[in-house]
Amino acid sequence: MNIYRHELKAYRKSTIIWTFSLIGLTALFLSMFPSISKDAEQFGKLLEGYPEAVRKAIGLELDTFFSFLGFYSYTFLYITLAGAIQAMNLGLSVFSKEMREKTADFLLTKPVTREKVFLSKLLAALTSLLVTNVAFFAASFLISSRITTEDYSGKAFLLISLTLLFIQLIFLALGLFISVFARQLKNITAVSFGTVFGFFLLGMLSSTSGSDGAMRLLSPFKYFDTAYIIRHGEYEWRYILAASIIVLVSAAMGLIIFKKKDIHSV
Amino acid sequence: MNVIEIDRLTKQYGKARGITDVSFSVKEGEIFGFIGPNGAGKSTTIRTLLSLIYPTSGNAKIFGKDCVKFAPEIKKEIGYLPSEVFYYDNMKVGELLAYSASFYRKDCTRRIKELAEMLDLDLGRKVGDLSLGNKKKVGIVQGMLHEPKLLILDEPTSGLDPLMQQTFFELLREENKKGVTILFSSHILTEVQKLCGRVAIIKEGKIVTVESISTLQENNYKKFRVETSSLPDIAAFQISGIKDLEVNGRNVRFLFKGDLNKIINIFSGLDIVNLWVEEPDLEEIFLHYYEK
Repeated sequence: MNIYRHELKAYRKSTIIWTFSLIGLTALFLSMFPSISKDAEQFGKLLEGYPEAVRKAIGLELDTFFSFLGFYSYTFLYITLAGAIQAMNLGLSVFSKEMREKTADFLLTKPVTREKVFLSKLLAALTSLLVTNVAFFAASFLISSRITTEDYSGKAFLLISLTLLFIQLIFLALGLFISVFARQLKNITAVSFGTVFGFFLLGMLSSTSGSDGAMRLLSPFKYFDTAYIIRHGEYEWRYILAASIIVLVSAAMGLIIFKKKDIHSV
Repeated sequence: MNVIEIDRLTKQYGKARGITDVSFSVKEGEIFGFIGPNGAGKSTTIRTLLSLIYPTSGNAKIFGKDCVKFAPEIKKEIGYLPSEVFYYDNMKVGELLAYSASFYRKDCTRRIKELAEMLDLDLGRKVGDLSLGNKKKVGIVQGMLHEPKLLILDEPTSGLDPLMQQTFFELLREENKKGVTILFSSHILTEVQKLCGRVAIIKEGKIVTVESISTLQENNYKKFRVETSSLPDIAAFQISGIKDLEVNGRNVRFLFKGDLNKIINIFSGLDIVNLWVEEPDLEEIFLHYYEK
């Protein structure tokens, strides 16, 4: 528990900052909704002028854009983008921080197993993401109730909001895996931005090609099709499965490598 | 009883560095020196003992238990001071030490206070603001606060001023009197000479010799310097056992190993004004091992 507590404390500041940024971002987006829905017709015409490929790439669906859930899920794409960066940063720094700041010698000469070190750190990172998600959901729920009188499905709202956590879990696990694998990561932000934006672009490409196949499996951002969620009130289980596999495999591989890894001095 | 038993320990990485077939044992209650120049494999050996890195072949036992298999268990009784200390910069010294103590199932507050006082360490300061010497002190307290049975010190004195070094050595002797075994790695020979009973000398990843300090000195050359009243007959010095003969006018210097009576015989034929006979210091012995 001591490692968990120590790690949690170390992430406290960044968790708070990220949580408030995400809330601020969604508040900004949602505050535009009343005026956009009021002038829906004009906006509709304007947006129709965009080529279809562009609309698809940025996730714009004209049929649903002017409903609250449609608008929410459109803006949510950017929330998940930011959230993915938060999670990836966290995952990357969990172990690379010890290597970069050279504190691994301290921690790993204590009477603890490497499994325990790994799991405590993982648990602390999960807690941090969970806190972000709970706070984010509560805040966006509160904001939504203020800005729209429209009757929307609470269940779909919850399902859409939960995808933030899923996407974050995927990127946390990926980050963790990379951070254990790499001998020393000098610039976390670069790696994290690179990876996240890479996947984000892949997602855009897969949307324009409109395929449901391998291309979509390659981008975690496309695992949760909000239109599908709104229509059916559930997730596409195939992609939930894919997400679970990515998370479990990266975490397990991370643990195995971390157990066997040589911790080199400076 | 042996506290540390290292048996043909080998660690290879890349091409250049590593250790080959390192074997030696450290007995309970001894202060054991581990000397060699930088890059000889001291840290590699120590890091393998602490299972920070894993051996390619061979094994090591601490307290009779395999140091990889039983790592968490044996580490309860090990205190380690790395050669370069790095700690969480955002923490206060007191917090860091408390975190360190939280890994051991005992109350260490009293010991922390005691050690901090002895080393003149301010517990309220941030780790990141400390000078190298003060960080080293944090390292010392961190390594000793749980009163371990074995101390592993990797070049512990770097960064400490001479006064603090003395305090630290006293502290080590005190611990040793209580029965604590100490493995002391260093490339500074005088401090090893001051503190240790036995030493292992390592060179290019291989153990050159394991010997008690006194035997090392006994079995070695003695240094002679003699000043005569008239120019000495150099031929007299051409006997076996004499090395590095240097004649400078009426001054003669040489190293000798063997029956000292032979030297006295030579000297009896000389009119001596002044005479010095010295034990070589460890440094000279050490260099002698390295020249080979």
